[in-house]
Amino acid sequence: MVYASGMIAAAAPIPDPAVTTRDVPSTRAARDRIVKWFGSRGWSPFPFQHRTWEAYRSGRSGLIHAPTGMGKTLAAWLGPVEEYLDERGPPRYGAERVTWRDRKASAAFRVLWITPMRALASDTTKSLSDSVSELGLDWSVEKRTGDTASSVKIRQKERLPTALVTTPESLSLLLSYPDAAERFSSLRCVIVDEWHELLSTKRGTQTELCLARLRGWRRDLRTWGLSATLGNLDEAARSLVGADAENPVLIRGDVSKRIVVKTILPESTERFPWAGHLGLRLLSPVLDAIEESRASLLFTNTRSQAELWYRAIFEARPDWIGRIAIHHGSLDREVRAEVEDLLRRGELRCVVCTSILDIGVDFSPDEQVNQVGSPKGVARLLQRAGRSGHQPGAASTVVCVPTNALELIEFAAAREAMAGGEIEPRTPIEKPLDVLVQHLVTAALGGGFEIGAMEREVRSTWAFRGLSREEWEWCVDFVTRGGRTLGAYPRFARVRIEGSRVAGTTGAIERMHRLNIGTITSDASIRVKYVGGATIGTIEESFIARLAPGDRFVLGGKPLELVRVRDMTAQVKRAATLRGAVPRWEGGRSPLSTHLSRAVRRLLGLGSGERAEAQAPEMRAVEPLLDLQSRWSRLPEPDELLIEWLETDAGFHLFVYPFEGRLVHEGIGALAAHRLTRHSPRSITVSANDYGIELLCAEAWPGDEASWRAVLSVENLLDDLLSCLNTSELTRRQFRDIARVAGLIVPGFPGSGKSVRQVQASSGLFFDVFAEFDPGNLLLEQARREVMEQQLEAGRMRGSLTRLASQRWTIVKLDRLSPLAFPLWAEGLRTQHVSSESWATRVKKMALSLETKARLTADTEAKTGRGSCARRRAGN
Amino acid sequence: MLAVVLGTERVELLPERAVWWEGRSTLLIADLHLGKTATFRARGIPAPEGTTRHDLLRLSRLIERLAARRVVILGDMIHSAAGRSEDVLRVFSEWRAEARDIRMLLVRGNHDRHAGDPPREWGIECVDGPHIDGSLVFRHEPGEDSRGHVLCGHVHPAARLVGRGDATMRVPCFWVGKRCTILPAFGSFTGAKTIHPRDDDRVFAAGESVIEVKHALPSSTR
Repeated sequence: MVYASGMIAAAAPIPDPAVTTRDVPSTRAARDRIVKWFGSRGWSPFPFQHRTWEAYRSGRSGLIHAPTGMGKTLAAWLGPVEEYLDERGPPRYGAERVTWRDRKASAAFRVLWITPMRALASDTTKSLSDSVSELGLDWSVEKRTGDTASSVKIRQKERLPTALVTTPESLSLLLSYPDAAERFSSLRCVIVDEWHELLSTKRGTQTELCLARLRGWRRDLRTWGLSATLGNLDEAARSLVGADAENPVLIRGDVSKRIVVKTILPESTERFPWAGHLGLRLLSPVLDAIEESRASLLFTNTRSQAELWYRAIFEARPDWIGRIAIHHGSLDREVRAEVEDLLRRGELRCVVCTSILDIGVDFSPDEQVNQVGSPKGVARLLQRAGRSGHQPGAASTVVCVPTNALELIEFAAAREAMAGGEIEPRTPIEKPLDVLVQHLVTAALGGGFEIGAMEREVRSTWAFRGLSREEWEWCVDFVTRGGRTLGAYPRFARVRIEGSRVAGTTGAIERMHRLNIGTITSDASIRVKYVGGATIGTIEESFIARLAPGDRFVLGGKPLELVRVRDMTAQVKRAATLRGAVPRWEGGRSPLSTHLSRAVRRLLGLGSGERAEAQAPEMRAVEPLLDLQSRWSRLPEPDELLIEWLETDAGFHLFVYPFEGRLVHEGIGALAAHRLTRHSPRSITVSANDYGIELLCAEAWPGDEASWRAVLSVENLLDDLLSCLNTSELTRRQFRDIARVAGLIVPGFPGSGKSVRQVQASSGLFFDVFAEFDPGNLLLEQARREVMEQQLEAGRMRGSLTRLASQRWTIVKLDRLSPLAFPLWAEGLRTQHVSSESWATRVKKMALSLETKARLTADTEAKTGRGSCARRRAGN
Repeated sequence: MLAVVLGTERVELLPERAVWWEGRSTLLIADLHLGKTATFRARGIPAPEGTTRHDLLRLSRLIERLAARRVVILGDMIHSAAGRSEDVLRVFSEWRAEARDIRMLLVRGNHDRHAGDPPREWGIECVDGPHIDGSLVFRHEPGEDSRGHVLCGHVHPAARLVGRGDATMRVPCFWVGKRCTILPAFGSFTGAKTIHPRDDDRVFAAGESVIEVKHALPSSTR
């Protein structure tokens, strides 16, 4: 097997901001106990753990960031433990182990542990519980998630355990009970695990609001977060502790971790890369890698790709039956839990999985992580690498499997960016009003609130620090009066307004709201179930619409035959062989991140001599492609924009390479097409990938640079975007999740009767009637903003166009498709409604003919003595 | 406006999601769902106000323009018992006072059975379907009848139109079969269901105008 390998150390340590310690009572006795306990496990505390405990003792809040398995958990957890030891003195004799049976005698509720994943809750509860019982504390540690049995919930309603492990959704739910304030009054500390996972999501905003509620009840509450390395740790810490809190302490795990990024190199590099075979060409070295290690995680970027790889591995190694498994977000929760359990017990050789396993289940530390396809982001690769070797001192290794030749560059770029500490930020969401109105109803049910105090409380969160008075009033109107209406609506009853207070209602509305709490939304999907049996998972309606009863498909690696579709459920039976279509799910692919695209541009801009010297074996492997690109066209330098054009039977192709990720390119493509057709109507086909854009038109293009600069100008960006994209349809679709979170959509459930059906309407219908009868509804505005920011990455597009404007432009006329143009051309062909089989055939044929041409020209050039280097210099 | 022959009767399909039967000076609508937003609001779901007024205004305009003498509602006039709010009843009473000389017939639908008949003083004749009128049969839910071509509602049919690229949009439609025609829902806050017509059915989208839709619907091969 050929490996490209390079080892890097994590970024150089950034010193923590000085932790100011106030008058801290002596904690020597308590600290000695903790250090002794570490010793009993054969460890000793890291300096950063000591620093965290000190900061905690002095009443501070903060964020601990370090790679997985570096002792973050104990750093955060033992702060409140030490405090308790200090308060209680030596333990009572005999209190060696505390179990739930004597939980009534256990210490009062004081620590809340929030985890983003239900799957993590059990493991966390166990490890926290083990540590306190070994320390001889009379603490009870319990979890509470959606899976918790109702008997346990009732017990917890009577008395909360000393420490409760829960999810943001379950916390919200707890806050919706009238006695919430009282029950949380003894809380000292909230610890949020994997904060980076929540940070840039609405679940994160929901957590922020809940934390503000808890702080409102207890001013001295301390908040500690655990996070992986991020590009915006300061913002991450601030959003955790609140906008009006004193500066949070940022503590860096001072254990440096070695990360090894290896790439499986193909024996020969295709010079005309395309995404048709999903990397399965490298199946055999991947199988070898799985064989060599005790346990492997094989990450893919999409659920479909996971299904394909699982099938391929299964077919190649039928003897691994029962020891390989598949895990992704569209599989039923029980199916996933089973896989996680097997993984935990070390019974699996390989799990093919998607980002849903980025965090979660801690399992054997000696397993290997494989990444199929480019991770598209530096942080993601770092996170996945961290899944292996997660104990102090061990190196984390990730084996990368390119699915096409260009991804070799991305792996090298990711390694380089990682070494330079260029990690992407995760930006918190600003002012999602759907989350706020949901929270207001939750708070109203949970004992009610004074309007003025709540306004201050909401603005104390990072997400809503910029909330305007008008927006606030709109949200209050929305939950108390059903919107800003003309008349008085006595019949509207979601929450009650009593003078300056808002209080909850009881009965059906209260129950409905509790069912609706949370911000996790799923696509309109069809449940897949065995006839009269277990649920396997979900697929999208559009996929099942194309199947007829008797057709076969694959889900969760299981061969299935469709029997019938009934009530949003596809009933299936087991089919004999692993044939049949693999479902496609929307929205699986992430675009190339800003940081990674910058690193890719830097690598491409190296001269061939520098490339040869680069410490990246991937670059040597991809050399034939780059060499051909520079012979047939050009390799753009970092401050240069390359534009290629080519005339074929299909028309005039224009290829532009901003290297800014697919979403931005789709936006730029639509923008350019709009501007080109505004004055002279013609039909333009736009395709995009992570590197560039193809515009295809039957008529000739303007040839000069000035007109192209006008077409790609940043001026009037927003107006032009709004008029060229079908933004209303995009917005309508985006509104679906907002309507759900804001409580417009009533969840149906088995057995829900007529009274529920009478108030069910689709989000699309709400969107339409709001647009017509209540155009000032701020939720519509939010949907528009989300489309701009999340779907179109308008901010990044603006940055990108500004960068392009300042660059040198080179326009090259091609004789035939260049290696960079080829994948764009193939992508464009795919959109022209050809069947997938004939598409693959045509792409292969084209690749073959170009390859032949490349060999021929190489021979001629060798004879005439023209080399790529000479051509390159001449171009400068 | 687009003329079609149903059974032996010539009628016109209107973009306002109604059928005009000139031979009887009759306007036919289905699925008005009065008080649906009120139902939602009573259950704490902030649906916008104004749809009832808007729908009645549309109805008035049609009556005036066509000089209609009679309005037939093919079921689901009132959404639910909770929808009979004071506000809704008042708005409709006022409207009815203005249109006193219009004869009205309601062929009860599933929602009406739950919500109850409209107040007697509105002067609306209420019948259970099928109701025979010449060679046409009125009912709420689709079905066939040996006595004539059926006109009905209940389904809230919509056609999925494929636009540029892969963009699709759903438009309320008239679904005209050999023996049964389903009207789009007249109410503004009613929602719609994408239909899968048979090859010999005709589908007319009711957008800015009424246009016949051909081959624009998702078949199982798309």
